[in-house]
Amino acid sequence: MKKITLTTLFTIPLVICAGGAIAQEELNALVWCDHTDPGFVEPFEQANNVKVNLKDYEGTGTALSLIEQSQPGDWDVFVVDGIDVPRVVEAGLLAPLPEDALPTADLFPEIVMPENHVIDGKTYAITEKFGYNTISYNSNTVDAADVADISVMWNEKYKDRIAIYDYYLPVMGLVAMSLGIDTADIQESDLPAMRDRLFEMKDVSRQVGEVVSSQTAIATGEVDILVGGGEWVTAGLTSELPHLDWVIPEQGAVRWSQSVGVFADSKKPDLALKFVQYILSPEGQARLATSSCYWAMPANSKAADHLTDQQKKALRWDDQAAYLANAQLYPAPDAELDAKMQDVWTEFLQH
Amino acid sequence: MGPASRNATGDSRGWVFVGPAVLWTLAFFVVPFVVMVGYSLWQREGTELVRAWSLANYAGFFDKPHFVEGLVNSLEITALVTVISIVLAYPLAWIIAERVPRRWQRLALLLAILPFWTSYVVRSYAWLLVLSRGGYLNQWLMGAGLIESPLEIAATRIATVTGFVHFFVMLLTLTIYANLVQLSPNYRRAAADLGAGPLRTFWQVILPLTLPGIMVGAFLTFVLCIGDYITPQILGGNNELVLPQIIMLQITRRADFPTAAALSIVLMVVVTLAYIAAARWLRMERV
Amino acid sequence: MTRRALGNVGVAGYVLLLYGFIYLPVMTLVLFSFQEGRFPIPPFNGPSLRWYEAVFADGKLTAALTNSLVVALLSSALACLLGFLAAYGFARYRLPGAGPLKVMITAPLTVSYLIIGFGLLVTFNMAGISRSLWAVGIGHVVINTPLCFAIITVSLGEHQRNIERAARDLGASDWQVMWRVTAPMLLPSIVAAYFLSVTFSWDEFIIAFLLSRFDVTLPVEIWSLLRSGLNPKTNAVGSVVFLASVAVVLILEFVVFRRYSSRRAA
Repeated sequence: MKKITLTTLFTIPLVICAGGAIAQEELNALVWCDHTDPGFVEPFEQANNVKVNLKDYEGTGTALSLIEQSQPGDWDVFVVDGIDVPRVVEAGLLAPLPEDALPTADLFPEIVMPENHVIDGKTYAITEKFGYNTISYNSNTVDAADVADISVMWNEKYKDRIAIYDYYLPVMGLVAMSLGIDTADIQESDLPAMRDRLFEMKDVSRQVGEVVSSQTAIATGEVDILVGGGEWVTAGLTSELPHLDWVIPEQGAVRWSQSVGVFADSKKPDLALKFVQYILSPEGQARLATSSCYWAMPANSKAADHLTDQQKKALRWDDQAAYLANAQLYPAPDAELDAKMQDVWTEFLQH
Repeated sequence: MGPASRNATGDSRGWVFVGPAVLWTLAFFVVPFVVMVGYSLWQREGTELVRAWSLANYAGFFDKPHFVEGLVNSLEITALVTVISIVLAYPLAWIIAERVPRRWQRLALLLAILPFWTSYVVRSYAWLLVLSRGGYLNQWLMGAGLIESPLEIAATRIATVTGFVHFFVMLLTLTIYANLVQLSPNYRRAAADLGAGPLRTFWQVILPLTLPGIMVGAFLTFVLCIGDYITPQILGGNNELVLPQIIMLQITRRADFPTAAALSIVLMVVVTLAYIAAARWLRMERV
Repeated sequence: MTRRALGNVGVAGYVLLLYGFIYLPVMTLVLFSFQEGRFPIPPFNGPSLRWYEAVFADGKLTAALTNSLVVALLSSALACLLGFLAAYGFARYRLPGAGPLKVMITAPLTVSYLIIGFGLLVTFNMAGISRSLWAVGIGHVVINTPLCFAIITVSLGEHQRNIERAARDLGASDWQVMWRVTAPMLLPSIVAAYFLSVTFSWDEFIIAFLLSRFDVTLPVEIWSLLRSGLNPKTNAVGSVVFLASVAVVLILEFVVFRRYSSRRAA
């Protein structure tokens, strides 16, 4: 009896482990969390009898870190901030895409961004989704006039009622704009002034958090204002919490965009391209725009046919032209400035 | 353990038993440690790993006030957590060991540590729900008239400490209880026979006898608390960073392994110093 | 009131307060897992099983649950085997350098999981080994072997030695003695070490986070759930894990360990 017990102790796990593991073609994609919604991925998986493995990250630095911690050939598809495509291409990570296989003509013209995606005449990635890092707020408790000005980020009136999104690039972009510096022109010499402004913001803020803790904080009334927020925080919640709103202040806001490409050392480039095509298809775009992690505008204008009027209203489909005019792209620092900006950000967290 | 076996059948046979654990520890603990030390002496410049030996990362640690502050935060929080947890857990362990009837003791103890089996990540998150501005704790306290406006404790150091203390109260109750029940009742009888009152018996007999157990528990608390990332990350609201959070920032945001390695070694040195202090204080032998 | 009665009231009050503190987050979690709406704040508007249905329909969560179980059971079995063999070897054979070797085997106990995980990450990276559940399992064996070793070492005493000698006198080989005599005698502490290891591995986050890729363990999946959208499934899955673990703990307490303690008492 005792002997049986001891032996089983060591062998049961082996038996459990032996099950499972059915061979199926797999595709590995490194993505932002909106791509992990089963409602978005499963139609592609079923149509192509393939398993898509998704690893989600927040911030290009994290993605590059993950790639560095991987072996060549580990990854097939890469979703990355549009602004970072040139440095990713420069690092040799992406393969050129066949242009005739992409619906570039259907995209909103403002967000095609050939200067980022086409390098030496070859297209390496295509925009798939875009939105804004600006100010989300609770319209029951916050004066609309206050959030129309970017100074709300450090407004004493809302002390301890402000949350800040924990991603240095967009928030430091907003900080630069509040100082009258264009996001594209940030220099090392601007950092001291930006740090002071960040410290001012930290003094009145309640917390600095990732997507969900920011979303939770504003949804539960923990805070009334989210700096760095936008439609990606509030659009998915408006049906239940209609008082959550977002605005682009007079001084402007930061525009983000995600691009998708195929890894240069992918072992399944054809399947990877198929996935890219699915993401850019009107159906895929509509599903991606309303994904459970966050909502935002699809890049392909034809997605309109697959979205309900209510969804389009939440996305503010018709206001995009005005928003695009008053938004600047994420800052795109080189490696050296990037490291310094991250240092400032760490100081800001520690302040 | 006593001197080696009288019926030992030779040394080489012993290696067969000891070998697997030794090799495993060498391959997956000692070697990684050496690799990490090596990494900490390299540098990351831009996106490049520069394989030139130098102590720049360690110098960088002391140059950057926000790094040093991370260590200070870690030490302050850990000390606070350790002290509060012991002060809360000792009476509970004592009550279970002394006041609860023998046959119910195991159940009482089990009840005290059951929430230990909530998933660790979820436990921290659950505290966020409890402590939030509109949460039940604030509603109750306001309903009872104890406070007028909601306590703003989510996303602060208080929240981090609360989350930690919750975990370590359970752990320390267990270790201190184990220590208390090992004490022979004869000590107490002897003290009483010599005319000591209950309070004096406690201060002069029971407490000193359980101190080694407390120290072991305190050391365990120290090690687990100072190395933890989840609790401050979920509950602290990024309003201040502890060393493990700074290490994780280096790993996940910028793939700066050399700096992360150097910071890890700083953390290890701190823990080792605490261990030496504890061991010297107890004058205890290594297992 | 007498001083004694006052003391009793104080004791009861303290116990209530502390048990209240210990159960506060768990009860809040379980309550909100039955919340109908999406927001985990009062007022409570349930009960609803909506989020439990969502948990069991979520293939990623159930896969993570299985992964966690497999990693915990397998890595703990290996950790126990390594720990037991080493404890037995050190206790029964005179080995040169035994002192430093024992220190080395127990050393991982004093090192933060973050550092162990990070060390393995850079080492596997250099060796060209991809992140996987296997890597996570290796990490968990590293943290649990010293634990099993320490627990089993403590319970290896002199009285077993006499029985071992008797077995040897009756002609049993070394392996037979270890496997058929010593191991069964130590079964209670081996089982205790095993379940402690399983608990630690099951709940471990940072090593699993650093070393896994697509197949993740439950704590890592819950973490990404927490990071990817306001999602009440977190409450439900947390409650499921809690209630299931409590059931296992109670069964072990009342069926397995109680039997041992009563047998020992008899």
